[in-house]
Amino acid sequence: MRSIKLSVWDWPLRVFHWLLVVAVIGAYTTGKLGGSLTEWHLIIGRLTLGLIVFRLLWGFIGTQSAHFKQFFPTINRLKRYFKGEWHQLGHNPLGALSVFALLFILMALVSTGLFANDDIAYEGPLYPTVGKALSDQLTGWHGALVNFLLGLVVLHVGAIFYYLLHKKINLIRPMITGCKEVPIDEPLHPNNQPGFLRFALATLSAILVVYAVWNSEFRDYLALLAQ
Amino acid sequence: MKLTTLLGLTALSFSTIVLANPIEDQIRIRQSTYAVMGWNTAKIKSQVVDHPATYNKDQVLTAVNTLAALAHSNLLEDLYDVGTDQGSGWKPTRLKVDYFQKQAEVKEINDRLIKETDEFKTIAVSGDVAAIKSQLGKLGATCKSCHDLIRIKE
Repeated sequence: MRSIKLSVWDWPLRVFHWLLVVAVIGAYTTGKLGGSLTEWHLIIGRLTLGLIVFRLLWGFIGTQSAHFKQFFPTINRLKRYFKGEWHQLGHNPLGALSVFALLFILMALVSTGLFANDDIAYEGPLYPTVGKALSDQLTGWHGALVNFLLGLVVLHVGAIFYYLLHKKINLIRPMITGCKEVPIDEPLHPNNQPGFLRFALATLSAILVVYAVWNSEFRDYLALLAQ
Repeated sequence: MKLTTLLGLTALSFSTIVLANPIEDQIRIRQSTYAVMGWNTAKIKSQVVDHPATYNKDQVLTAVNTLAALAHSNLLEDLYDVGTDQGSGWKPTRLKVDYFQKQAEVKEINDRLIKETDEFKTIAVSGDVAAIKSQLGKLGATCKSCHDLIRIKE
């Protein structure tokens, strides 16, 4: 069978993915250990918030295989997938379910973390906006959500190893190189060349959101502008 | 003689009252104690981590001394009687029911709290901000080990 190398994952998406891996491992470890590492937990929180904002924007203005509408797991797509009729590059509908679940849980973790407090010395940057009682509640959720994240990460990594060992399909390499060998008559040839302006827009927006969340003076200024 | 006996009895009864607070009082006082500890820890953190320009050696030393005094205050014996896992002080207690089965670990953490705050005093006197920061981390980890062990998560 003749095959051709196709671009499946654009480079900003791959950088996003591996930075997110580092962020999740780092946030989990520093969160469990506490002490001086709590300082790092908050820094990693900023990184994670930035990454999530970037990915949400990239899902609309990024390249084709990063577009949410490209892989949103509709009932129809899931049906086709389970009947074995789904052959496309990018996330398959079942994997897409797990991608959206991961993104959703991470959004919830970051959002609750912004308002959290550790009852020792550290507070999330938006703690003063909610007060202690509500912050305690959100801190509880922050901790409970970690278990859901762990479950999804186990599924995610488990599925990758199932593909690698059972189906003999390596999903890790395309997430590093961006390319995948596919039969030459592959129906979909996605355009995965990231536009510089779009990349700059998504990145700058992510940085701006992180800056606004951590800088109360800048938030006040934005509130003034909005009035 | 009669008067001395009377005074003695009164003193005894007072001391008994002090030793055996009603359950809700114990819960309220320990919640207050931890709030004061949090206030002082936050003050140290603010001056050595967030705004190093505001570092004030005397204030940090006072905060550390307060923490050490509270660590030495015998709170395990005074404020954690059987039954204090239920009830409300300023708000409902979050003490786990199995607190009373974990006495050895609790004692170990309490000893560590005393040790870390005592060492903190020497470090705060030295005025070495980097060392203060690192000791604050060790103290925070001690607080966390207890939160993880005996406190109900919200």
